[in-house]
Amino acid sequence: MSQWVIRGLRSGIVTTAYPRSAETAAGVTPGLPVGGELGAQAAALVQRCPVHALQEAGGRVSVDYRRCVHCFRCARGVDSALAWQQSYEWGSRGEAAPQDSLGDPFRRSAHILVVDAGDCGACLNEVKQLNNPYYNMHRLGFFITPTPRHADVLLVVGPVTDHMRVALKKIYDAMPTPKRVVAVGACALTGGVFADSFVSAGGVHQVLPVDVEVPGNPPPPLAILHGLLVAVGRKPAASSTSVHAAAGRP
Amino acid sequence: MTALTLVLVFFAACGAGIVFSLVLGPARQGGVLGWLGCAAALAAAAAGGVALYSSSGFVLPLWPLAELTTLTLSLDPLAAAFLLASGLVLLPASIYAAGELRGESLRGRERAFTVMLLALYASIVLVLVAGDALLFLLGWEIMSILCYLLVLSGRGGENGQRAASGYLLLAMGEAGTLAAALGLLLLARNAPALDFAALKSAGTGLGAYARWGVFLLTFFGFGVKAGLVPVNSWLQRAYAAAPRAFAPVLAGATLNLGLYGILRVNAELLPATYASTGLVALVVGTASALIGILYATTDNDLKEVLAHSSIENVGIVVAGAGAGMVFFATRHPALASIAFVAALYHLINHSFYKTLLFIGVGAVETQSGTRDMDRLGGLIKAMPLTALAFLVGAISIAGLPPFNGFVSEWLTLQTMLRAAELSSIGAKIVFVLCGAGLALTAALAVTCFVKVFAMSFLGMRRLDRARQVREPGRATLSSMTILALICLALGVLPTYVVPLLDPATSQLAGTGASDALVPSFFAASREHGSLPPAFRAEFHDLGAQVGQGVLPGRGEVVLHRGGEANPVVFAMSTLYMLAVLAGLLALTYLVVRVWLTRARRLARGERWDGGLRRLLPEMTYTATGFSNPVRVIFDAIFRPTTVEDTRDTVAEHFRNAIRRERLSVHIVGRLAVQPARNAAFGIARGLATMHHGRLNAYAAYVLLALVIVLAFGLL
Amino acid sequence: MNRSELKNEIERAWPGVQCRLDAASGASEVACERAVLVDVCRRLFHEWGFGFAGLIVEEGAEAWLLRYVFYGERDAGRVCVLVSGPLAEQVFPSIAVKARIPAADWHEREAEDLFGVRFEGHPRLGDFVLHDDAWQEGVEPMRRGFDPEAALRNRLPHPDWRPRRIVQEAGAFVMPVGPKFSGVAESVHFELETVGEDVIRSWTRLFYKWRAVEKLAEGKTIDDALLLAERFAATTAFAHGLAFCQAVETVAGAETPARARILRVFLAELERLRQHAGAIREICESTALAVANSQAAMLEEELLRVSGELSGHRYLFGLLAPGGLLADLPTQACRTAQREASAAVARLDELERRLTISSSFLDRIEEVGIIRPHTARSYSLVGPVARASAFARDLRRAQPYSGYDEFEFEVPSEEEGDGYARLRVLFAEARQSVRIMEQAARALGEGGDVRAPVTPCAGAALGWAEAPRGATFHWVRLDQAGRIGRYRVMTPSFANWHSFHLAAEKFAFQDFPIILSTFDLSVAENDR
Repeated sequence: MSQWVIRGLRSGIVTTAYPRSAETAAGVTPGLPVGGELGAQAAALVQRCPVHALQEAGGRVSVDYRRCVHCFRCARGVDSALAWQQSYEWGSRGEAAPQDSLGDPFRRSAHILVVDAGDCGACLNEVKQLNNPYYNMHRLGFFITPTPRHADVLLVVGPVTDHMRVALKKIYDAMPTPKRVVAVGACALTGGVFADSFVSAGGVHQVLPVDVEVPGNPPPPLAILHGLLVAVGRKPAASSTSVHAAAGRP
Repeated sequence: MTALTLVLVFFAACGAGIVFSLVLGPARQGGVLGWLGCAAALAAAAAGGVALYSSSGFVLPLWPLAELTTLTLSLDPLAAAFLLASGLVLLPASIYAAGELRGESLRGRERAFTVMLLALYASIVLVLVAGDALLFLLGWEIMSILCYLLVLSGRGGENGQRAASGYLLLAMGEAGTLAAALGLLLLARNAPALDFAALKSAGTGLGAYARWGVFLLTFFGFGVKAGLVPVNSWLQRAYAAAPRAFAPVLAGATLNLGLYGILRVNAELLPATYASTGLVALVVGTASALIGILYATTDNDLKEVLAHSSIENVGIVVAGAGAGMVFFATRHPALASIAFVAALYHLINHSFYKTLLFIGVGAVETQSGTRDMDRLGGLIKAMPLTALAFLVGAISIAGLPPFNGFVSEWLTLQTMLRAAELSSIGAKIVFVLCGAGLALTAALAVTCFVKVFAMSFLGMRRLDRARQVREPGRATLSSMTILALICLALGVLPTYVVPLLDPATSQLAGTGASDALVPSFFAASREHGSLPPAFRAEFHDLGAQVGQGVLPGRGEVVLHRGGEANPVVFAMSTLYMLAVLAGLLALTYLVVRVWLTRARRLARGERWDGGLRRLLPEMTYTATGFSNPVRVIFDAIFRPTTVEDTRDTVAEHFRNAIRRERLSVHIVGRLAVQPARNAAFGIARGLATMHHGRLNAYAAYVLLALVIVLAFGLL
Repeated sequence: MNRSELKNEIERAWPGVQCRLDAASGASEVACERAVLVDVCRRLFHEWGFGFAGLIVEEGAEAWLLRYVFYGERDAGRVCVLVSGPLAEQVFPSIAVKARIPAADWHEREAEDLFGVRFEGHPRLGDFVLHDDAWQEGVEPMRRGFDPEAALRNRLPHPDWRPRRIVQEAGAFVMPVGPKFSGVAESVHFELETVGEDVIRSWTRLFYKWRAVEKLAEGKTIDDALLLAERFAATTAFAHGLAFCQAVETVAGAETPARARILRVFLAELERLRQHAGAIREICESTALAVANSQAAMLEEELLRVSGELSGHRYLFGLLAPGGLLADLPTQACRTAQREASAAVARLDELERRLTISSSFLDRIEEVGIIRPHTARSYSLVGPVARASAFARDLRRAQPYSGYDEFEFEVPSEEEGDGYARLRVLFAEARQSVRIMEQAARALGEGGDVRAPVTPCAGAALGWAEAPRGATFHWVRLDQAGRIGRYRVMTPSFANWHSFHLAAEKFAFQDFPIILSTFDLSVAENDR
């Protein structure tokens, strides 16, 4: 057994400094497109997006982050591409968010229940990475619990398939107040590429009141962490659309 | 009123009851049994209580039988203790039986049942007040036969099984009676008469072999009725087959008579002079306790569980008595008294909580139609009062404070620890091992009764939706309430019970146990008795004086004192425990209701089931599953064989059914009964070769016999 | 046997049956009647050693077309047994029962639930994809005339649905696990029949995550359908996207440029390496060996970052396109990524060495969760699970695609079929992946085309790839407009989940999560 102790100690500390300071390593995030002025090509570019995440108004392209499925067709194989930013602080308020963030005493200690309502495996895998030495969510007071009775935050991935509706509702009802719902991933926000399926609800907000939304397909672990920090009130919420959007939702 | 008068009142009540029962119609039998049975029980209890409290018994010679003995009635403290316990048990048992007579289970046989039950009461008391061996054996026989008849008196269900169980009861009972009678006769070999006084004085002159003979014959002979391993095979079957109205009496009153017989002969008439007899009793007791509780934990039929648990409790009593015999033989009278009081206390406690549990099981069976724990569940919603009473019984039998089982088990285990004061290493080792065995038994008992209560009353209801389950009638509820209150009383008032049992204890051990166990903290300082002042001061600081002047008696603390170097081994007070417990519960309730939930709502939601659409009863733990770990750990004792049939498949891939059956033979059956039976059959087969039909050989047998007889005659 | 021998055998044994060899795709098509279907399948599977890839049901204008896909080693190629029947009678013989091919069991159940095609002799049709306690029988969502709104309106779940109990023993009960269980786990329901400590029989209820991907794809353009192919089981997105693209390229007759082929191999192996690191992490996590878990988790995160840095997305989304790749990757970046992958595999080797001497860890996975070679064969298992049970078939060798036959690598296999064997196979395959990546990085030139034009036209073809979890087959039929007419996905998890219950039986509850983790199964991949 001692071999493991020594091996572990020799690995040192690799944990990211986020949220104290920004994480700049490569490959931690796929980024999101930034809207911009594209003039004449704007209309054609907007057509390329298969999930209608791009809107065009007078040559100006804005992005609804909630819909983006990271197909990169606005950036690859096209002459005037949209710029992408390597950000990850994407957690935004749910549209019908009725509640503030959790606040004390949950700021430094929140128990999270992760429910898979039909996700593809990538969002869930990113959630699993939160426990690895690079992100180590325990240092921020986030713990995964298997039972809703102990949970403060419900983290849902997937578009909510028909067969999981009853289970998801039961889970939400079994959680004691105060509780918050964090929807993670494009499928959980809008249904993603499965939105048109007759067995998909088209997003968690169709079934439960969602407090924090984390876009991405899948959102990287840092984005999920940001979403959790927003839910407990340690970080301000971001906007769910690009800065070039008109006032209100496009 | 003197004890004698009360005993005569008792017999009068029984007789009157029998007369009324024969005269009145079937509808009035319940009333007869209820009123006159209760009157009789009260009279018996009063007789025992009066005799114990005022230390006054009686000896009443009846009729002399030429050449044999004078038939005598006598009530000494030992019998008085049993009489008190029996009377108090028979009171609620009569109420319950009276209630059951109105039900379905005895339709058509009410009169026979009432007559036999009242006659059984009379025979029980006859055994207890018999003053000579002949009357004793007469009462014993009547009691045995009446037990057999009452077991057969039930109706409905498995009549063949019932007949077989009854026959086994009778056969083994008679074998036991025979052995016990032989033992008594062996004891009486040199006695002028058969009354107990004469037997006692004759006993002092017996040699070693005769003592061992008497011990073994009476120990295992009376042990049949008590349910000691290895002569217990009849017990689980008879208790399961006995009708609901009779089972409480069978378990609560007649079981004790076996222990009475053992104590009477081996602790009173023929007190132990060798430690080895006591050690045998100790070991057999521990073995019974372990085997009993193991089978109780893994059984699923409620009545069989209680039957096996009776074996366990009897084992604990016998272990305590055996320890007492060892201490008495090695001249430690104080320790012997502690041991005997533990045994008597446990015996009394067992009568009460076992009767309570049997009545509870009877109520459950009446309402739900089944005794199989795998099919019960969730009854607490439909029968909350029964569940509460049953819970009291379950907590008592599991030995948890503040109920009575805790006190007597604690006393028994503490007695085992006192083996440190013995001089023989061998005895010490036996004590230590048996103490460990008894501790294991206590732990398993908790498991067993958690399972019994939880699987029957808690969880999801597994019974048919259509079955209506309600609280049972007033008779059942009131009998259970009486017993539950008695269990609580015996649990929180040990400091009154031990002095009450003193006369019986001194009869067995030579000295009472109150001095050793119940120091008089309430007495004013000059009357303190044997307590050194520093000691008293220390306990005063701990609060042992709380209640002085308000509560009667010597004190509320039961103390287990060691020798000089270690004055206090352990001290406890269940009354203070109850007070503190009640206080803490009340405080917690207040804190939660008043303070913590002030600003919040209480929400009631569905149970969490993993997100299933519907949780079904078959998705909850069964009794078999709950006790499976015990079955696996003690596999060497159970030795089950599993038969699996997986042939029901389609195309070798789609399985339709996997049929499995687990078969096992009781360890006593495997190790004692089956070998004995095989040996007997072997001998019979061997002897049968003599019956080959050849006339010439038969003629030779006759010649051989003649030669042998002539040879012996000449010699 | 090779293709021509097969053709001779078939035409000899069943005179009326035609065996046509499609030179372009290399598949043999055997069109037969219902009457001989069972016999043909039985001989293909049991006598001639083909594996069963799956059943593709298509609803034509007037007839059903059932396509049973078998595949063998390189020379034998793939065999599609075609059988058709009029739309009105939808009964076909069940080859799971009559030809004793257990591998076909779930395919037939899925066809019955989704299309209403009944398989005569199959005793367990119904309650498979569409749970009976959520939908009534006869919904048939994959049929052309299906009206989703009407179906949702007229829903009638079975009010008294109970699970089927197989174990008949006094005191047996069912221990339900899920759909929500454990900390972070996919939604799946298990029923463990037991009398206490050991699982006597286990039953898996999947399709809680059914998103009807095959239905969704119908009518979409190939680019939009590629999105579905990548994202329905995104932990192995590249492999599924690759299989889809290859199917489309076969229909269109397009040939991908050499650089695109090499890059595709490189990325596929990078994905395999990362997925295997994740699987190893899951195994260490399930046995609660914390430091090993952390070590494997660090490796997985590093490989995710390598993938993200190289391709812009941690799971390699958005690179594949029909005809090649959507964008080129600089060779230098590839070589850097390959060096980092080699460093990662060196640490994986060290992890494996340490695990091999941790007896408490080995105790928990050795001789636990055993799949016998016979089972692997008859259930047509794929991937590391099959290779750990002496059934070593790898599509990169058996049916090479994307230029894999130009690379040197081994296909590791073990015999015991227990959890430890599967773990060893994972480590060995990771090493082989890096070996391929090194060769691919060397073979990359400095530049070149990465995309060939693809004009969608009518036609149908099978595309396949050896995904990290095993062989995956994507069948695509394009209509005249070049849109998807039928999209059938036959995934490795679908094959392997079928056998999971056998591994879990006769072990204690505590072993259950460990056995589950050694299988590296994906519910999303199975459910689609």
